[in-house]
Amino acid sequence: MTAQVLVLYFAQSVELTGLKEEELPDVPTPISSRDLWTLLLRRHPRLAALQHHVILAVRQQYVAVGDQVVTLADGDEVAVVPPLSGG
Amino acid sequence: MAQEVCCLKAQLKEKEKEIAALKKKLAQLEKSHPTVLELHDKVTPLTPLTSNPALSNEDIMRYSRQLLLPDLGVRGQLNLSKTSVLIVGCGGLGCPLAQYLAAAGIGRLGLLDYDEVELSNLHRQVLHGEENQGQAKALSAANAVKRLNSTVECIPYHLQLSSDNAVQLIQQYDIVADCSDNVPTRYLVNDACVLSGKPLVSASALRMEGQLTVYNYRGGPCYRCLYPLPPPPETVTNCSDGGVLGVVPGIMGCFQALEVLKIASGHGSSCGQQLVMFDAQDARFRSIKLRPKQPGCAVCGENPSVTQLVDYEAFCGSAATDKCLKLNLLSKDQRITVQDYKSIMDDAGPHLLLDVRPLVEVDICHLPSSLNIPLSSLQERKSEHLQLLQERISELKQQMAGDCRPPVYVICKQGNDSQKAVQVLDKMSGSEVDNIAVKDISGGLMAWAKRIDPTFPQY
Ligand SMILES: [Zn+2]
Repeated sequence: MTAQVLVLYFAQSVELTGLKEEELPDVPTPISSRDLWTLLLRRHPRLAALQHHVILAVRQQYVAVGDQVVTLADGDEVAVVPPLSGG
Repeated sequence: MAQEVCCLKAQLKEKEKEIAALKKKLAQLEKSHPTVLELHDKVTPLTPLTSNPALSNEDIMRYSRQLLLPDLGVRGQLNLSKTSVLIVGCGGLGCPLAQYLAAAGIGRLGLLDYDEVELSNLHRQVLHGEENQGQAKALSAANAVKRLNSTVECIPYHLQLSSDNAVQLIQQYDIVADCSDNVPTRYLVNDACVLSGKPLVSASALRMEGQLTVYNYRGGPCYRCLYPLPPPPETVTNCSDGGVLGVVPGIMGCFQALEVLKIASGHGSSCGQQLVMFDAQDARFRSIKLRPKQPGCAVCGENPSVTQLVDYEAFCGSAATDKCLKLNLLSKDQRITVQDYKSIMDDAGPHLLLDVRPLVEVDICHLPSSLNIPLSSLQERKSEHLQLLQERISELKQQMAGDCRPPVYVICKQGNDSQKAVQVLDKMSGSEVDNIAVKDISGGLMAWAKRIDPTFPQY
């Protein structure tokens, strides 16, 4: 099974990917959050700079990058959110 | 006789009028020049916050529009007056936050900042004015807040928050707001809040985005639960590098004020397990539901390894400031001073001056003879830029007799990116472009403005 998801990029991930959002047509599902992150890394290798300090969210829910398995449906939103530290 | 009485009475009335006028004048003067606030340069024990059992008539009038809200009411208002809030950072977030908390009648405000007011702060740090340049931000903010509401107790701290003073300070407050501008301070404030059991209303802003979460609150996560490891320092962008539209921290600081007021009044915050993101470009708020606090967290978990404050600058590998650090990536013979470059320029020898700043900064100011190729384009080997570079190198080679390597001098704002660019260009030299002799101009355009051309703009 695959799903078409909308990936939203925030803060530094916008600079690293050059995108604010993109449609991914054929994301396998169910998929572990680690594999989902790896899939994004393959598309945008520069995202590796954020490894270990990025928040990944699926349908506005935090998912830890690891073994957690997520089931995706067409139109689901995946968000890549690095922290901001400025004030 | 009667006439004399009448006359005296009239005189008396006149004098009374005069006295009333003098009193009024005095009151006005006292109001516009409140008792001088004492700037604290260290943490000292505070007296307990005195609370009124009831609202005075003046309180009722002042706060009437919010007293009418069932969400606040008299009880909520009295709760505000009993609450103390520590604001860490009196900048773009801290200014609007302090302003709304004071306006709403918070009991005590601790205002902490180690910096002085600069002209480049004023577009977003709205409590400070032109006349406050050079003054301690904490004091400038406290004076502004006092003018707004003299009943709020303000304590300005002109000190660097550190592992030695953070717990002692934070213990004395009910709620802490993180309005800081750097990563080490964010970990320090988080850990001190966890160790002291205080809710942490945290916000941040950069460019056109903002984020907000309330940490260590009602079983929700702390900052470390979310970010166990600090980001590598070279991946962190601060406001002085990346820029920020003033109203963005303004919106986030107001949002912090809202959550602080909800906690202080007894209503409670709804952002304890939530990361709220603001996108100013699309004018959109989004929020991500977070996990509860993590049993494995190093500070708030079940077996914490952090049981007292540590060295946060070492932990993060960066200094607790948003000021630019001076990198030292090159050897001495790979760098020249701005004075050296001035003589090269005056001698008019063939060379290439390469400005590696982003275009938006080149638009602000640049040296007339420079070629602009941003560092990121070099790093990504953008073909049109490499072609342009090669063309200029070829031209130089034609101008220069013999087979010597054309000199390329690299400049940026402060001399950090230019060093990175020299490293990239050294790798490219002889393979991706013709052989070149690359050198960094130490200190960049800001050093040029300071030492060579005082009319050159600084930013
Ligand atoms: Zn934690």
